[in-house]
Amino acid sequence: MDEDTQGLAPSALETRSRALFQDSVDAVDMRVRSRLTQARHAALDAAAVSSRRPWFLRTRVWTPAVGVTAAAVLGVALFFGSPIGHHGMSAADMQPNLEDLDMVASGDGSVDALDMLQEDLDFYDFADKAANSGSPTSPSPAA
Amino acid sequence: MPRFDTLHTAWMAWDLPAPAPEGVVLEQTKELDKFLAEVERRAFRMAQVALRDPDDAMDVVQDAMLKLARNYAAKPSAEWRPLFYRILENGIRDLQRRRTVRKKFMAWLPGAKEDPDNEAQDPLENVADAGPAAPDILMQDQAMQKLESSLRSLPGRQREAFMLRNFEGFDVAETAKAMGCSEGSVKTHYSRAVHALREQLGEVW
Repeated sequence: MDEDTQGLAPSALETRSRALFQDSVDAVDMRVRSRLTQARHAALDAAAVSSRRPWFLRTRVWTPAVGVTAAAVLGVALFFGSPIGHHGMSAADMQPNLEDLDMVASGDGSVDALDMLQEDLDFYDFADKAANSGSPTSPSPAA
Repeated sequence: MPRFDTLHTAWMAWDLPAPAPEGVVLEQTKELDKFLAEVERRAFRMAQVALRDPDDAMDVVQDAMLKLARNYAAKPSAEWRPLFYRILENGIRDLQRRRTVRKKFMAWLPGAKEDPDNEAQDPLENVADAGPAAPDILMQDQAMQKLESSLRSLPGRQREAFMLRNFEGFDVAETAKAMGCSEGSVKTHYSRAVHALREQLGEVW
């Protein structure tokens, strides 16, 4: 059966090795034979159980589906639960920003803001004059 | 739409879209039993030659039987042989890969220089049998041991091709189906295996 002898009689090596293997198969001890018989019966029982199960409960049907579902769930969990940065703003996150906007836009806060701006302008004017004259004087208390 | 008296009868009817008569199932089980009884010892020896350890060989054969029975029992019985040996060879290859990974991992651990496969071996197994043995049986055993060690030294695919073709009597097409490769590859693997075995066993045989 060698490639060189395709279709011809097998070589001595092939014949002898086959005979030796067959002898070793015949010489398998009783303990191993008993275990093989038990394994065979277990396999036949498994075949009977498998043939009685509905198709949707068979492992071959569900294994890929379960794998894909688990991967999808894991992907979603990692995407939304990632500690690196925020991927979106919830309504709770947006609430303080809206409150700040309200404070700025409301009439109550606008007067205070203009006063503060006026104070800053007076200060910068005083600092400019002091720097040019070289003798700083205290700003007027009215400023 | 058929009417069912109980939920159970409805379930049974839906469960088996093409219900097989009880006799056919029984016949199929008998056929599978006969097939497995025919191949089990040969499969065990093939696995033992490849893996050396009888317990590992038993596990692989048992697993192959279970997989065939669970997944392919409904297929025509003519397809069982190549399917069974394909499952068996895949199991052998998986176990050999796991062993390789385990050896690499164990090599990294401090104080783990010993080969874990040899630890489980009983040292008494290596002691020569003191009982009288007929010279021809002794020679036969020695020849088989030489053959086994030579087969183990072959690359996996060559060993598979040689054992399936020579020991199991598969033709090229069946071997290709069992090995999951082309017929040309089978011829190449087999030819290389025979040449390598001739080189190794030439002096003894």
